[in-house]
Amino acid sequence: MTGNDEMVPKDPRGTHVGNKDIYGRKITYSWWEPEVQYNWALGPAMSRFLEELKKGSIVGRKCRKCRRILVPPRMFCERCYNPTDEWVKIEDTGTIETFSISYIDSDARKIKDPIFIGVISLDGASPKHGIMHYFGEVKADEIHIGMRVKAVWKHVSERTGAITDIKYFKPLKKGGGKK
Amino acid sequence: MTFLEKQTDPTSPMHWRGDMQADYLYPNGWAGDRFFKNLRDKGTFLATRCPKCSKVLFPARLYCEDCFVEIPENNWIEVPTSGIVRLYTFAKLDAHWEPLEKPRCMALIDIEGTDGSILGVLDVEETDEDLTGLPVEALLRPVKEREGTMKDIVCFKPSV
Amino acid sequence: MKDVAVIGAGMTVFRRRMLETGKELSFLATKMAMEEAGIEKKDIDMVVMGSAPDAFDGIHMKGENLSDGAAGTGKPYVRVFNGGGTGVFAPIAGWWHVASGAADIALVVCEEKMGSCYPHPQTAFRHIWDPILDRPLNPNLVWLFAMEMNRYMSVYNIKKEDIARVAVKNKRNAVGHPCAQIPDEKITIEDVLNSEVMAWPVQRLDISPPSDGASALIFCSADKVRQFTDDPVFVSGVGWNIDSTMWTNRDLYFPQYVANAAKMAYKMAHINNPRKEIDFAEPYDPFDYKELHHMEGLLLCKKGEAPILTREGVTERDGDMPMCPSGGLMGVGNPIAATMGQKVCELYWQLAGKAGKRQIPGDPRIGVGQAWGDIMQMGTVIVMRRG
Repeated sequence: MTGNDEMVPKDPRGTHVGNKDIYGRKITYSWWEPEVQYNWALGPAMSRFLEELKKGSIVGRKCRKCRRILVPPRMFCERCYNPTDEWVKIEDTGTIETFSISYIDSDARKIKDPIFIGVISLDGASPKHGIMHYFGEVKADEIHIGMRVKAVWKHVSERTGAITDIKYFKPLKKGGGKK
Repeated sequence: MTFLEKQTDPTSPMHWRGDMQADYLYPNGWAGDRFFKNLRDKGTFLATRCPKCSKVLFPARLYCEDCFVEIPENNWIEVPTSGIVRLYTFAKLDAHWEPLEKPRCMALIDIEGTDGSILGVLDVEETDEDLTGLPVEALLRPVKEREGTMKDIVCFKPSV
Repeated sequence: MKDVAVIGAGMTVFRRRMLETGKELSFLATKMAMEEAGIEKKDIDMVVMGSAPDAFDGIHMKGENLSDGAAGTGKPYVRVFNGGGTGVFAPIAGWWHVASGAADIALVVCEEKMGSCYPHPQTAFRHIWDPILDRPLNPNLVWLFAMEMNRYMSVYNIKKEDIARVAVKNKRNAVGHPCAQIPDEKITIEDVLNSEVMAWPVQRLDISPPSDGASALIFCSADKVRQFTDDPVFVSGVGWNIDSTMWTNRDLYFPQYVANAAKMAYKMAHINNPRKEIDFAEPYDPFDYKELHHMEGLLLCKKGEAPILTREGVTERDGDMPMCPSGGLMGVGNPIAATMGQKVCELYWQLAGKAGKRQIPGDPRIGVGQAWGDIMQMGTVIVMRRG
């Protein structure tokens, strides 16, 4: 048994380096900015999904075995481990499953106007099946889990076949309904 | 078989372009910081002798990876900035596979008085001659321009 | 299958950014573990390295880069990796090296150097999102946890102060840990609730800090352990499980994959009633709510009950079921894989009665450690007991 006052592990090592050490050149270091580009294959399911977004519609895939309607669509059902069977049209309305209001950007830098973000389960897909997207035309004290929302699309001339062809989801009812 | 389903539109998107952008700041390390500060300020190389196997490790390091013992303070030694060519190649393309203006000789140099080596540019014209074993010497940047990184070694030149 | 015991553990300090290279950090942690076990490099049969994404250290295939600092040169060596789950998965891999009979003595080293990544380690996290569906929305990884936390809070109607209580407990527990990055004896629930909002409901003090650090563990087969110690600590069960990557198709209120991993480990450890039989736990706590979420996933309480038990003091170091007596990631720091130091090394220190200032009173006999990773889908669990 070790005495109660002992700090374990004993005398751990490691030398802390602060911003002052770096910007004051107290330590030497090397700097590197990697440049590498990727070209990710979309595959048939995602190609069709993006193609449909460009037309202003959302599609899913149905697995006849487990009867799930999958959004985002995929050519195989990971649960049944079978190919999925058919394309299904999904509504552009849905329900907020969860959300967050972000005050930081993707590099963890503070931003002034918060981003409303969350998961929307889409009407026409299986329960709890949906996508992540932004919310707009809604206030912080209105947004809530269970809120009914509808996609706001970019103008057809601005769509590129991307998830951002949907600008955001807005409350179905003005004011968003009561919490 | 749905995996074989044809694309509905041959001009439809098949790929998505992007990058994995992030920048990196690598501290040179506990031993590396001392090595590079010494290179920057004194213009010499430092090595460390393993107290167990007596190998002279170059560049200097905190521990001997074979014996897995820490290097004691008085086993740090200064070694010459010269050595001999162990391996070399003439590069014709740069890191982006673009042709270089003229072939560049990249060489692994065994540093004198040590059991270690370092990669560097060898300042020679392309030749069919075997350069293995060629004695060389490091050319460093002027003191004022040194920053404590590998860039402080401009190249290795054949010893006169 | 052979029984597997622990004969040594080591850890560096954890800090936001350290001078030492990843190799040097690995060496310092490994050397400490070797000295405790009283062995040298030649006594080690096999080495397992655990380290999370290459994008933190900024060295591609860093397993190979780290090998010489991890005493791997000239030995059977492998890196294992499943994101945040690595800190418990690497010792699981070390365990099977010995349990299988392939090695008598296996060394496990875990390393992470997040301080290299600029402008922030969060930048590297961008690349774990789906490039087609998620990345065009410019996400920050904190969003994921904010959304999961919100879902968890909403389903059980949990208040933020009941979650903040975990941050306070763990940062206070960490005061007894010499490696700790952000121990805080005086922190209060109000401090957490008043800290800057990052992505609601996640505030700055709900999050563990990114860190540099390393930890090490040495496993030995039961038939050889008596030459090292008379009072060994054994691994009695391991489990791991992954859920679907299609996270927008899952209800995030309960980590089913953690429960699956826990069931696998408890079955191996012959634990029928985890709530009664397990004395303490080190659930993975990169965010304060995750400790509660994982307590439930580890079947240590009913669903939705973790905040209540925490409020009642049950999870304090001197409570009936201490959680994160090490100080966890919230207090000691979060160098992803190297949190093996809190999640597994701590089990060893506590069960061997070697935890010093952090020692749980009452002679704990069985502890469980757990980690969690990937896109909220990976659960890794280890159960340890005193011999």
